[in-house]
Amino acid sequence: MKKTSSRATVLSKSYSFLIYLLLYLPIFIMILFSFNESKSMTNFTGFSLRWYRELFSSGKAFEALKYSLIIALLSAVISTVIGTLAAYGIHYMRSKALRSTVTSVTNVPMMNPDIVTGISMLLLFAFVQVILGMQHSLLGFGTLLIAHITFNLPYVILSVLPKLRQMDPSLSEAARDLGCTPVQSFIKVELPFILPGILSGAVMAFTLSLDDFVISNFTIGNSFQTLPILIYSMTKREVTPDMNAICSIVFVVIFVLLLLSNLTGGDGSGRTAFAEKIRRHKKQIMIGVSALLTCVTVGIVFLFLFVPPPVEKTLNVYNWGEYISDGSDGSLDTIEAFEDWYLETYGEKVKVNYTTYPSNEDLYNKLSSGAAEYDVIFPSDYMVAKLRDEGMLEPLDFSLIDNYQYILDDFKGLFYDPGEQYSVPYTYGVIGLIYNSAKVPDGLVDGWGAMRSEELRGKILQVNNPRDAFGIAMYDLDIDVNTTDRAEWDRAYDYLAKQKSLVQSYVMDEVYNKMESGEAYVAAYYAGDFLFMYENNEDLAFCQPESTNFFIDAICIPKNPARDEDTYRIANIFINYLLSEEPAVADAEMICYASPNSLVINNGEYIEYMSEIHEDAMDILYPEDLDFKAEYDKYCYRLLDPETNRYMNNLWSRLKIESGEGEDFDPTNIIALSMLAVIIAAAVFFAVRRKRREKYYS
Amino acid sequence: MNNEKLIELRSISKSYDGEQVLRSINLDIHRKEFITLLGPSGCGKTTTLRIIAGFVTPDEGDVIFDGKRINDLPPHRRNVNTVFQRYALFPHLNVYENIAFGLRLSKTPDEEIKTRVTEMLTLVNLRGFEKRDVSSLSGGQQQRVAIARALINRPEVLLLDEPLGALDLKLRKDMQVELRRMQQQTGITFIYVTHDQEEALSMSDTVVVMANGEIQQIGTPEKIYNEPENAFVADFIGESNILNGTMIKDYTVSFAGQTFTCEDAGFEPNEPVDVVVRPEDIDIVPVDKAMLTGEVTAVTFKGDYYEIIADIDNFKWMIETTDAFRAGDTIGISIDPYEIQVMKKSEFSGMFGDYSTFSDEMDHLSDPDGEASE
Repeated sequence: MKKTSSRATVLSKSYSFLIYLLLYLPIFIMILFSFNESKSMTNFTGFSLRWYRELFSSGKAFEALKYSLIIALLSAVISTVIGTLAAYGIHYMRSKALRSTVTSVTNVPMMNPDIVTGISMLLLFAFVQVILGMQHSLLGFGTLLIAHITFNLPYVILSVLPKLRQMDPSLSEAARDLGCTPVQSFIKVELPFILPGILSGAVMAFTLSLDDFVISNFTIGNSFQTLPILIYSMTKREVTPDMNAICSIVFVVIFVLLLLSNLTGGDGSGRTAFAEKIRRHKKQIMIGVSALLTCVTVGIVFLFLFVPPPVEKTLNVYNWGEYISDGSDGSLDTIEAFEDWYLETYGEKVKVNYTTYPSNEDLYNKLSSGAAEYDVIFPSDYMVAKLRDEGMLEPLDFSLIDNYQYILDDFKGLFYDPGEQYSVPYTYGVIGLIYNSAKVPDGLVDGWGAMRSEELRGKILQVNNPRDAFGIAMYDLDIDVNTTDRAEWDRAYDYLAKQKSLVQSYVMDEVYNKMESGEAYVAAYYAGDFLFMYENNEDLAFCQPESTNFFIDAICIPKNPARDEDTYRIANIFINYLLSEEPAVADAEMICYASPNSLVINNGEYIEYMSEIHEDAMDILYPEDLDFKAEYDKYCYRLLDPETNRYMNNLWSRLKIESGEGEDFDPTNIIALSMLAVIIAAAVFFAVRRKRREKYYS
Repeated sequence: MNNEKLIELRSISKSYDGEQVLRSINLDIHRKEFITLLGPSGCGKTTTLRIIAGFVTPDEGDVIFDGKRINDLPPHRRNVNTVFQRYALFPHLNVYENIAFGLRLSKTPDEEIKTRVTEMLTLVNLRGFEKRDVSSLSGGQQQRVAIARALINRPEVLLLDEPLGALDLKLRKDMQVELRRMQQQTGITFIYVTHDQEEALSMSDTVVVMANGEIQQIGTPEKIYNEPENAFVADFIGESNILNGTMIKDYTVSFAGQTFTCEDAGFEPNEPVDVVVRPEDIDIVPVDKAMLTGEVTAVTFKGDYYEIIADIDNFKWMIETTDAFRAGDTIGISIDPYEIQVMKKSEFSGMFGDYSTFSDEMDHLSDPDGEASE
């Protein structure tokens, strides 16, 4: 007997230990790595405060955090007030039917996927804009706040209602009986009783608002970013460790808050002297805190909603995440430098709203949905062609972009902009093979053939996006990557299907960790990213196959009828500024992709900086005997026609679902099927049992 | 208790969702009176109390307080305080603050609050509990806090809505004595609502028996018990054998096939009446001297007496006796004239039969279609 019970305790103890381990281990690791000396996410090389320093010096993440906190606080406070009153009203409804109807209607938005809420919000704001006859999009702080309050409301109502139901109805009668007016009774008796519900509603609203991405993405506009949006848009590159630092700070702050609230709150047992003091002066504290909160809330709302922004020029710049020099590690803060330079040169203030996106498709969606207006964007080559074809680009004013003369001729008049009207190239790059020279026999990786080498079975990383994966297959098979011939696509598919059993996994960002830690030996990825990885693992080497993809990211001005002449002028000046020597060098050093700007590649400091990263960096980024124009023309990705694009995506899905060796075994299917079977079995069991019982009762 | 009227209810009617809860109630409540509204659940006693407290506005009729009509006065402006059934203590306040609640509202100086709270704690025997959380108190202690909280405002009237319902039997008995003491000590008018007839009889100056939204009888406990005015009151208060009878003439009544001498008069000759005989008022006598004879069908030992059910002429009588009998024994009974209570026929006549079945309350519990009351 004793033995079993002690075994049971051990079991139950290890079970709860396991649960807490699962809950807290990721956070612990995140905090640990926020103190990592190096950039690696896998090797802890030593303790350092580097990322915290960087965080405090760059300011970009902090600003996003600041906005996130302000929005979370405001939306939590406002939705808590509205939601509590609403719950109170619902609770005291006379008609039971009406009450339950209202409650269910309240719950519906909570069940809605965020995407539905987000899109409907966007449509609403666009509709209001049209009704009000306003030229500019309404989207901004106000709309984001409204959206957050809206999605928080049901949660607050849902956490206050049960508390109200728990409350003895004679409690408020007792208060009125003792001399309270109905309002006093609410404040003195009912409010304290439902306070735990209100607080948990507020905390829930706060945290939901803090980490919302989807709804925010649709309603935020172009003038600022919240933390989740900033982090999401960083995926052009790996998430940098300063994110670990900021998330650790957020976690610790919330943890301390919870700890404090548990210490002071509770249900009377173990009350401290401090809590007793608070209790005694509760009234004053309550009045003080609520007055403060009200003032802050009203103040901020006024500031953002009703006070017109100061008359100052703004320029809305929309770039890839981590795609400009931002002042970290003592580098140049390009945006700030431009604002200063502009003020000095033209004696006029201009405010750059700099926000970021994670992919060309996100950029396209934002632009075409009209969710936000931008003045300067950084699309890739094929996207420039698409935007141009659809009339979404404004021609640049080259009379304001003198520095275009420093762009190498190789990068002018390419397919996406043959008339040199719409774009200026920003960076370019090449896809190649990154391999671990310590693990791979010499000479094995000399071209795309390495991607189907039996010797490297299980150590190959393929790119997890259809265009690049098919591209690699086609380069290896010597097929035109822009072909419309289905047979050719099928051949590429066969190649990939055969390759599948050799591939360790299909990756995007994870390529960093897997290659740096030596988990995988060879990967297809961009040359610029190779240089980043090399910083963390010097065994890595780069091989550029003969035929391969080059891409160009360009700078453009999207069409916007609401934009005035002056803003258009400033946008061109901004582009010109980006091409001037100091910012162009800083950006190229930060991004590590190749620059098409002669001012950069002839800059001694730049050459020195790159060779510090890797002695052959310049050769890797800028191969000597490269006829860029010819190569680019031959191998770059062009916009696929919709038919072909769809065909490619279908092949890609098939590839991901089917196994490489023709066996029809997919673990996800098995899991899904067995879950379905369990559910059906349970349903049948309960139905039969109910039938039986009914029979028994009747 | 004196005869000065403090509260007058004049033709009060109230209905909820088309169901009439009170039908034209008239009631006078005097200063310093301990008055109890007694009746089964659903009889309208709590509604009457809530009308006096101000939580319910009557559809018809007037509530007069100290000569003034107060129908439209909200609860917080009435000089009346309530002790609620489930105490309704404020869980976020300690004992002291719960009791001080009313005084804090009226901005009484701290010094005075302190003296009066102490005074109240003494009254309810809870000295030393000032800083305790109300949730840590027992039911009886919570009850005392609720009473103290209501009394500290020195109301002219204290309303008590079944305040002892949640306590166990022993504690309930003690609290009955305590409440009576507090009422006499403070001289405040108590209006007490209960469905427990024993509680009503032992504490009250006046008992108001209610049923179906109407007052059945108002009177002192002795009068209510000894001279019930109709079958309902007789049945509800204590145990009673209620028989159909005929008032042959003044002081002569016939029931159970016999003619008896009684002390009642003023009925029409040969008027059909209800006759009540209390089980403890029946004398068991040798069969040859008996007015009525019957057979014992059941005996229950009650400690200091036996409760006998006897079949007399197909009517099951309940008789209380100290002598032991067994089922099947034949007994004879005798009833003294002053033990016979003759009542006019009423709507309740015939509703309460003999002791061959369970009580109405029991029937009610076993009825699946019946509504849960109150």
